Amino acid sequence: MTEVNVREKVLAANASAARGLRDAFRETGTLVVNLISSPGSGKTTLLEATARELKGRLRLGGLDGDIATDRDAQRLRDAGIPARQILTGGACHLDARQIEAALAEEGERLAGLDVLLIENVGNLICPTSYDLGEDFKVALLSVTEGDDKPFKYPAIFAKAAVTVLTKADLLPHVDFDLDAVVNQIAALNPPARVLVVSARTGQGMDGWFALLEEERARKRAAVPAAAVTA
Amino acid sequence: MHEIGLAAEIYRIARAVADENGGGPLESVTVAVGDLAAVEPPLLEFAWRAAVEGGPDAGAGLVVEWERARQDCAACGEIAERAPGSWLRLCPACDEPLRVTGGDALDVLRVVFSGAPERERGAA
Repeated sequence: MTEVNVREKVLAANASAARGLRDAFRETGTLVVNLISSPGSGKTTLLEATARELKGRLRLGGLDGDIATDRDAQRLRDAGIPARQILTGGACHLDARQIEAALAEEGERLAGLDVLLIENVGNLICPTSYDLGEDFKVALLSVTEGDDKPFKYPAIFAKAAVTVLTKADLLPHVDFDLDAVVNQIAALNPPARVLVVSARTGQGMDGWFALLEEERARKRAAVPAAAVTA
Repeated sequence: MHEIGLAAEIYRIARAVADENGGGPLESVTVAVGDLAAVEPPLLEFAWRAAVEGGPDAGAGLVVEWERARQDCAACGEIAERAPGSWLRLCPACDEPLRVTGGDALDVLRVVFSGAPERERGAA
């Protein structure tokens, strides 16, 4: 019998792939956001509105994770940006190797983007654990889901730099204590930014677009000099 | 149910460690799981049995060592109290947000397999 002591991260292979992606995105100045939420909270609708608003100013692209159907990627293509569906079969999250493979297969269509929008599989739990080489995670919570969710699913709200509260046009019709949710997020993640939007009416969407443009400018300004002259 | 994918990674890492050390079938693998790692030990153990079943390492055990996060309040110091099934967000004494550190471990700690490493056999 032999015992070998190691201390190897179970997700080391994913972390290594994510590191490679992050290095490549740094060279091209591509802002990468990883959107995570439960199914039906409005990720694709937010991204459709984002595509329509920003595609004239920025080169956008999308990767959409789902168990089945390429409906989401098709919706983003219909909104005017290149997008590829990643079908996970049954897996409840995207991992960094799937992002690598999807970008390799799309080639030029998704190369050197200004902003890559990754829409994770609808799930508030598992995607939280997988680094995709993103600049930051964005958690979405729709007002119809209930105002206790940040404390019920603390990991994602603690890790997401930005939480977008969606479907704000429905606030008059639901019992959703906005202040309570903002306080829960502040307790879990003091520096997190919270936006309140409705992609349907456009309410608050300017704040979301401005955030993406500011973060994209910051990423672009940090591109290593060698990569710019190359 | 991302525990299935995690169990497959644990098996891949453990098998590689045993192979590098000239070992035979796995006896047991010990992993550290932090209480903020979003991993449920019973689900991980179930997924582990599925990962090794029917192969040369069938029957190998998975031992989970639970690692707790530490919660500190700026005013009151370390807070040992836990919320059920989760961690506290606010200090129970003064209601200020707690600083949470650690608890995110998800590591393979030890691999036990039958057979001795080549170098130890040679030295014996």
